[in-house]
Amino acid sequence: MLVVIASINDPIARALVGLWAPLDCRLLTAADLSRVGWRCYVGTPSSSTAVVGGRMVDASDIDGVVTRLPSVLEHELVRIAPADRAYAAAEMSAFLTFWLSQLGCPVLNRPTATCLAGPGWRRERWAYEAALLGIPVGTVSRRADSAPPVRTQPATATVVGPRCLGQVSPSLAVRARQLADAASVDLLSVTFSGRQSGAAFLHADPWPDLAPPPVANAVLDYILGGAVHPARAGAP
Amino acid sequence: MILLWGLPEETPVAAVRHTLERLGARVFMLDQRAVLQTEVELSIGTVAGGMVRSRGQEIDLGEVTALYLRPYDTRRLPGVRDRGPRSPAWRHAVTVDEALWTWADLTPALVVNRPSAQATNNSKPYQAQCVSRAGFETPETLITTDPEAVREFWATHHTLVYKSISGVRSIVSTLDVEHVPRLRQVSWCPTQFQRYIPGDDHRVHVVGNHIFACRITSSATDYRYATRQAEDVQIQACEIPPDCAARCKTLVANLGLEIAGVDLRRSPDGAWYCFEVNPSPGFTYYQEASGQPIDEAIARLLAAAKRRAAAPVRVHESYRSKHKG
Repeated sequence: MLVVIASINDPIARALVGLWAPLDCRLLTAADLSRVGWRCYVGTPSSSTAVVGGRMVDASDIDGVVTRLPSVLEHELVRIAPADRAYAAAEMSAFLTFWLSQLGCPVLNRPTATCLAGPGWRRERWAYEAALLGIPVGTVSRRADSAPPVRTQPATATVVGPRCLGQVSPSLAVRARQLADAASVDLLSVTFSGRQSGAAFLHADPWPDLAPPPVANAVLDYILGGAVHPARAGAP
Repeated sequence: MILLWGLPEETPVAAVRHTLERLGARVFMLDQRAVLQTEVELSIGTVAGGMVRSRGQEIDLGEVTALYLRPYDTRRLPGVRDRGPRSPAWRHAVTVDEALWTWADLTPALVVNRPSAQATNNSKPYQAQCVSRAGFETPETLITTDPEAVREFWATHHTLVYKSISGVRSIVSTLDVEHVPRLRQVSWCPTQFQRYIPGDDHRVHVVGNHIFACRITSSATDYRYATRQAEDVQIQACEIPPDCAARCKTLVANLGLEIAGVDLRRSPDGAWYCFEVNPSPGFTYYQEASGQPIDEAIARLLAAAKRRAAAPVRVHESYRSKHKG
């Protein structure tokens, strides 16, 4: 079974679940954390159960997870009293952080203490890490009154495990993988000012668009360990 | 220059500031209450620099050798909270907070403690994995939305406590028969239950290489709220075994913290259980009772930090915050 953790309103997550339906892929939303069935015995994850898509499952039956949420969002906890939503969201986020961290299957991206998927860095931290790697970093301003920066033909490289997808030069692909390594993530899109070697770093996103078939297939390959499966997009 | 960020009258901040000034250190107190009169300008390249201006004073963040962080959620402060999340004041406060938190994670200065290191306390079971790796015992724990699972766990371990999973402070309580009708409410949100561990509570403050241990005697399940529960609490300085002290130092170092309050309990069979590592300890509560000079140790740790060489900033990402509302 594959699990996609996402907002109920995430169309990319729904598309992935549809695409990977033959693999018993299910969507886990905040509503599942308000259902009877979660049993997590700390230290013995193999005996734990979860609730995914409204159904109780053994945690050991989960073969891979894609997380598309930085945290549980309190505005999605519509069945919980408004006064309790902030606390419940914090508790659910804290629980998922732990639960994801102890799963034995592939998880894109692994949680950290600050985020359910990846390091939860703000863009300044991504720029800092890119600069440390020797990648030119373009000037970006947060000032509301500044003119939008001029960018010609930005190009995006999407790292999925050892692979790097996108129309960028090999050297930029290496840079993107290096940045993913610095962040200890296996799923990351990195946008540069152009596709040629020497282009400047613009921004990084640990929640790339997974809808394009090459990206969705790379994610599936990563989770399945390279096995070719009929659920691959475009497969006959 | 040592930067303190928080509320000046809050007792840990006041204690550290007072001691630093007695030691003759240069201190800049960035008062959170002045957030609407505070401007932050960050420059991010291979180093993080910038300026902070507040109430007519200005500091170059590159001159900061050490930083002591104890800010509250600025959005809850009067003057911000009252104006609401859509107000310029609210947005400005959030921007200032984000800029300072970002800088605190990137500056080469000594930071007590870096935000990313503090974050493990946001998930207690997540942090408990680090605790176990440092060689401490942790209680058997169940996190569940299933009332039947609670009953089974209770039957196995006889006495349970329940507590928050996140860093939101909660009162640790013993599960008893009066809770039975409410057990079905766990279905709304995963809830953490732990086997009750009898024994003596200890709070160990690790400050750099220094250890300050004290023993807490109380009949309350959660001694921090003993007074509220009309229970007695006594706090006394004590010694802990060298191997336990070493584990505390290892744990705090592994979490990337410069100082921490480690919550331990020694069971009757001599095992040391660790419940939590507090990355922003309110140490004055213990200092006032035990007489331990924790503020002095923190102040000396901050004062001893040297300015670290910074590589030239080659490229910049600007982050400016100026409240105009």
